[in-house]
Amino acid sequence: MSAEDFLVLENVKTFFPITKGLILKRKIGEVRAVDGVSLRLRKGEIIGLVGESGCGKTTLSRTIMQLQRATGGRIFLEGRELTALADEAVRKQRINFQMIFQDPYASLNPRMTVSDTLGEAIRTRRRLTGKTLLAAVAELMETVGLSPSLMRKYPHEFSGGQRQRIAIARALAPQPKLILADEPVSALDVSIQSQILNLLTRLAKEMELTMIFISHDLSVVKYISDRIAVMYLGRLVELGPAEAVMADPQHPYTRALISAIPVPDPKVERSRKRIVLEGDPPSPMFLVSDPPRSEAALEEVAPGHFVADPESFLNERKAHAAVVA
Amino acid sequence: MPLLQVDDLTTYFHTRNGTVRAVEGVSFHVHRGETLGIVGESGSGKSVTCYSMLGLIPMPPGRIERGRALFDGKTDLLGCTPKELQRIRGKRISMIFQDPMTSLNPYLKVSTQIMEPLQLHEKVTKKEGLRRAIAALEEVGITEASRRVHFYPHEFSGGMRQRVMIAMAMITQPDLLIADEPTTALDVTVQAQILELIRMRQAANKSAVILITHDLGVVAGMCDRINVMYAGRLVETGTAEDIFERARHPYTIALKRSIPSLGQKGKPLYTIPGLPPDLSKPIPGDAFALRKGIRSGGKYANVAPPLEQVSETHWVRASDCELPSLEEVLNEC
Ligand SMILES: Nc1ncnc2c1ncn2[C@@H]1O[C@H](COP(=O)(O)OP(=O)(O)OP(=O)(O)O)[C@@H](O)[C@H]1O
Ligand SMILES: Nc1ncnc2c1ncn2[C@@H]1O[C@H](COP(=O)(O)OP(=O)(O)OP(=O)(O)O)[C@@H](O)[C@H]1O
Ligand SMILES: [Mg+2]
Ligand SMILES: [Mg+2]
Repeated sequence: MSAEDFLVLENVKTFFPITKGLILKRKIGEVRAVDGVSLRLRKGEIIGLVGESGCGKTTLSRTIMQLQRATGGRIFLEGRELTALADEAVRKQRINFQMIFQDPYASLNPRMTVSDTLGEAIRTRRRLTGKTLLAAVAELMETVGLSPSLMRKYPHEFSGGQRQRIAIARALAPQPKLILADEPVSALDVSIQSQILNLLTRLAKEMELTMIFISHDLSVVKYISDRIAVMYLGRLVELGPAEAVMADPQHPYTRALISAIPVPDPKVERSRKRIVLEGDPPSPMFLVSDPPRSEAALEEVAPGHFVADPESFLNERKAHAAVVA
Repeated sequence: MPLLQVDDLTTYFHTRNGTVRAVEGVSFHVHRGETLGIVGESGSGKSVTCYSMLGLIPMPPGRIERGRALFDGKTDLLGCTPKELQRIRGKRISMIFQDPMTSLNPYLKVSTQIMEPLQLHEKVTKKEGLRRAIAALEEVGITEASRRVHFYPHEFSGGMRQRVMIAMAMITQPDLLIADEPTTALDVTVQAQILELIRMRQAANKSAVILITHDLGVVAGMCDRINVMYAGRLVETGTAEDIFERARHPYTIALKRSIPSLGQKGKPLYTIPGLPPDLSKPIPGDAFALRKGIRSGGKYANVAPPLEQVSETHWVRASDCELPSLEEVLNEC
């Protein structure tokens, strides 16, 4: 296995059945949340994953984590096929990959203090107890910009952003190889956001941490990622070096996304134009009777810069991008 | 007369580890048709300010120590009975909460939850309620709403849950909408659509909006006036132009400098070093001066810095703090 193939996704699909009827639960269709994603990650690489709300980003990361089993396709971590592992073996692997969840409150145990939560996470890797454990907890809290004096508090005693930092600390505690960060800084104000971004970039370098970083904030994604993957309706529609994707977006969806980034200047904001994608955003719900979609395929337009066919996107969207005031 | 006039709002939490002074003497107002932004560091009291006005502070440990929040010139939200407050909340004042998962009930279908405020305040039939619930979901850009309305919250994506919350808060057409980080989970195209919806409703109903967000781009586009909070206090308030072009308080200036879009790739971002102060210890003077890495002349070490008027619209809390340079910041980290 080469370092190029730290994490490999081959045509990964994750569907949720839609059923009808209370008792028989006849399957009438499915939500094709992830519908054929292929991707290779280098060790130590940070990939930014962006895309429309509901396009399948969280489902894709849960599928990589094996919190949700794939409906199709294969996933390899360091050459080992995760999709072929039994549940027990998956649990053993889980220490190597950590997820930072989108909803920090729901993912923290409300009955555990911060020091319990972080202590438990640290002990999955290092057998520390007593004072040394507390010292490790304190160090970890400082790393993410939380005062160790807050150690004995419960999640509900924290603000939204403070909770997210606890969740980040918990993910870092077992010294994972792969981090799936689902909107990790969306709940943070910009100064703490920049602290966390500096921290994550530093850790990625120092610990050769590989990371999939989901965010809707393109300026954040551009800052932190080596490459950007743009997802739309369960598939990748653009993939390339962060700079190339931002400076020279090829796919109409990526263009719309970039044009909608809010600018922190009231004069610019009040008079700007955005590319608004007209027509219905298509839904990932398919009926049993619907024909299968065409194969997911990306074309290389420049070295390392891949794009899906814009025609099929526009047809699926049944509309064209139009510039409106 | 403003739709909401808040004076000297002060909310503490009396916990076993001491008294957390979450909001300390905050005053502001918002008119009909106006959007007021609240920005500030995580933990600076933005949410607690709004929860206090809606009677949503858990008591104990929380307590509103003093203050007044006059709504529509008549009702003091901090002094009225729980019954009165309940009549206003969800009907005349709605809130979009920061954490969609904690404010949606995981065991109830989304349809039941969206229809609740309608059934409670407008006594509509089930059929009419469902029709309006579907329309409300469509308005926030949820496709196949007539099918999805019957889903449970966990069957929605994060951004869709957030939009369910928004639909719920707007369904009764409130006079005051308090939106606490309403678009954090949304991609920028959906965000633009939601913000446009909030703007349109506001214009149609002549309603007021309080928008809490850390996204300064959103603030710039949406807000007429902005409150900047630090450590439970208001440190600066003014029009969007006052804050973006003529900011005075060192915290506001540092906040603007930390925006990642201004940072270049690969180069570290500007950040404010150190941590915000521990709110369980009394802070007699300038809270920002306590921050590690911030230089201060000590003028406000023990006296509360006054809020000084800069112009007709612009107020700033006095401070003699100086920001460190980027190099100094990086040495700190
Ligand atoms: N139930 C509680 N018990 C004790 N302290 C609390 C409680 N709720 C909030 N706090 C404290 O009050 C302070 C203000 O919290 P608040 O939620 O208003 O912050 P915020 O400005 O909304 O931050 P964020 O941007 O992270 O959401 C924080 O220091 C927090 O720890
Ligand atoms: N457990 C589930 N059952 C049925 N449908 C689901 C389930 N989980 C997710 N979905 C659907 O799968 C699609 C993709 O959801 P996902 O949460 O992956 O989106 P996302 O890209 O993370 O969006 P967001 O940016 O809003 O968080 C959505 O249409 C969602 O409704
Ligand atoms: Mg998600
Ligand atoms: Mg908050």
